[in-house]
Amino acid sequence: MANPKKGTSQARNEFIWGWLFILPTMIGLIILNIIPIFQTIYQSFFKAGDFGRNNIFVGLQNYITLFKDTEVWQSVLNTFKYAIVEVPFSIAIALVLAVFLNRKIAGRAAYRTIFFLPMVAAPAAIAMVWRWLFNSEFGLLNHMFGVNVEWISNPSIAVFSIAVIGIWSIIGYNMVLFLAGLQEIPRDYYEAADIDGASGVRQFFNITIPLLSPTIFFVTITRVIGGLQVFDLIFMVMDKNNPALYKTQSIVYLFYQNSFVENNKGYGSTIVVLLIVIIMIITVFQMIAQKKWVHYN
Amino acid sequence: MRNLKKWTALGLVAVMSVTTFAGCGNNGGNNGGGDSGELGGELNVAIWDGGQQAGLQQILDDFTAETGVKTNLQVITWDSYWTLLEAGASGGDMPDVFWMHSNEAVKYMSNGILLDITDQVNSSEVLEMDKFPDDLKEMYQYDGKTYALPKDMDTVAIWYNKTMFDEAGIPYPDGSWTWDDFYEIAKQLTKEDGSQYGFAANPSNEQDTWMNIIYTMGGCVLNEEGKSGFDDPKTVEAMEFVDKLIKEVMPPASTMSETGTDVLFNSGKVAMISQGSWMVAPFKENEYIVEHADVARLPKDSETGRSISLYNGLGWAASANTSNPTAAYKLIEWFATKEMQQKQAELGVTMAAYKGVSDAWVNSTTEFNLQPYLDAMEDTVFRPATKSTLAWWNPMVEEFKKVWNGEEEMVTACENVTTMMNEKIAEEAQ
Repeated sequence: MANPKKGTSQARNEFIWGWLFILPTMIGLIILNIIPIFQTIYQSFFKAGDFGRNNIFVGLQNYITLFKDTEVWQSVLNTFKYAIVEVPFSIAIALVLAVFLNRKIAGRAAYRTIFFLPMVAAPAAIAMVWRWLFNSEFGLLNHMFGVNVEWISNPSIAVFSIAVIGIWSIIGYNMVLFLAGLQEIPRDYYEAADIDGASGVRQFFNITIPLLSPTIFFVTITRVIGGLQVFDLIFMVMDKNNPALYKTQSIVYLFYQNSFVENNKGYGSTIVVLLIVIIMIITVFQMIAQKKWVHYN
Repeated sequence: MRNLKKWTALGLVAVMSVTTFAGCGNNGGNNGGGDSGELGGELNVAIWDGGQQAGLQQILDDFTAETGVKTNLQVITWDSYWTLLEAGASGGDMPDVFWMHSNEAVKYMSNGILLDITDQVNSSEVLEMDKFPDDLKEMYQYDGKTYALPKDMDTVAIWYNKTMFDEAGIPYPDGSWTWDDFYEIAKQLTKEDGSQYGFAANPSNEQDTWMNIIYTMGGCVLNEEGKSGFDDPKTVEAMEFVDKLIKEVMPPASTMSETGTDVLFNSGKVAMISQGSWMVAPFKENEYIVEHADVARLPKDSETGRSISLYNGLGWAASANTSNPTAAYKLIEWFATKEMQQKQAELGVTMAAYKGVSDAWVNSTTEFNLQPYLDAMEDTVFRPATKSTLAWWNPMVEEFKKVWNGEEEMVTACENVTTMMNEKIAEEAQ
């Protein structure tokens, strides 16, 4: 087998095949993600004309407007509020569910399906249903608990009500990822812990969490990014007359409003560049912090 | 054997990369015909009102039977409609024939997005352009060229809940009432415990509610010089009246925004709403409204005795880039002929833009008395519009939202709207 000539040809072969297999994804990423990112940054220096024609170069004007625009900073705050509620809860609940559904209990497949179902439903349909559940006048929630809370039109709680919808719809997806991670943990560790007399809770914190940490890290990174990009729930639930809209609209909502409703694509791009920067900073910090708590075998 | 595997794999990769991107490119035009004047092919038609779909489909079927041109009618909700049309106009893939609205018409016409149909309209043997209202025709003309033909007309009237009027012992409105009477009635129909309110309107109910009050009370949204009319004392007075309605006879702003005024009306929460004639089709489908509601003309001003309704009308336009301009024009013309205008009214789709055939629309409906909408045509004002209406229209609604929410005084809002509008209108001239 020590034929150097054959070795190199095989290496070259693998090199070519490797690239061929990732090519479709690469092309997709470049055309649909990477190029638009640079186009967006480019566009943020322009005042957009009608139908993308006659754009006028305005330099940093959009960025100056952005820094003075209280509506933008309010939307940043709203987005953070949403993410701070949605991310930890959706992860914690999904993790606990995954641990329970990883055991041999009756109807396990049925439960797994039920929790995953929200993922299958269209987000717009989910939002419409929740909009009526939350309705202060005819909503099921107020009716059941006999209260009169304005879930989605009270400015101080509306964003959290939306986060509840977000948690509800993403739990199943997180749970499936955790289940996959749990399958990877060898049973031996638990058997050894049992013999040593460790309780279930202790096993969870000392075996499950450390060994699952790469999955938890992955889910956290993607959920933080997903949470900061929240749009569809707010768009569907909040009517434009809603008094709580100002304190609920997210960065992407504001981007949509500016780019597509008011047709000010230049300023819309500026807003979304701000979001990219925010997400990048947070992700970098998470990457640094992971060294402290993520265990790769 | 090894080679075979290799080629199979390569083939699979090729297929994968092709199918990944196939989705991007297959929604282009599939229209035959072209410029040759030979009719045929297929037209994509886009509208935003689901209530009109069934009726318009019948008119389209007649068109297909007559000309052999197939059509594909698509309904897209109002908000998404403009996003899609705008994206289509920028990206070059628009529907062939679609509705135009006074808010957006100038922008589309001035950028050459719409098909210029001036010559065909002038030489048409079937069109009777003098039968359409001038404001409406002119709305869809730019620089002396015609880009769309009037589709319909709409006016505004009051919908009231007969059962609630009976309960309170108030006679049904016959159209002789004034806004002061209206306020008194609404007040009587508002219950202390919040189970029933006299009236409901959102800040975004401009065309169908509060702008009618402004014009009826002698104010204006745009004055004769084309500037903001919100500094006119009459306008402010009318808006103060609206403010009184908000505070005394309407549900909380949060409830109205969450639930929508039409839902509050059809669930028996409010006794009256003011609505445009375009809502008749969906209201006919609602059992509660059919059983309990009827229509009355908008109240009059107590001094002048005039009751003014805003009116607007849509236009049928075609894309300048359509691959089948001859068929597209033929379809627009088809919709504007007397026969089809009449048919549209008979089917109860909307009132006709063509003068004198809208009686058929009133007669098509047995559930309600629609005569008030037709009577409203006696005294109308065309929906205010400038070159880029939306630039000031949306911020105007935003500003009044603050009054609805109790965060701002009406007088202050009117002042702010005046400044904002005049700035935006000055920008248009540049």
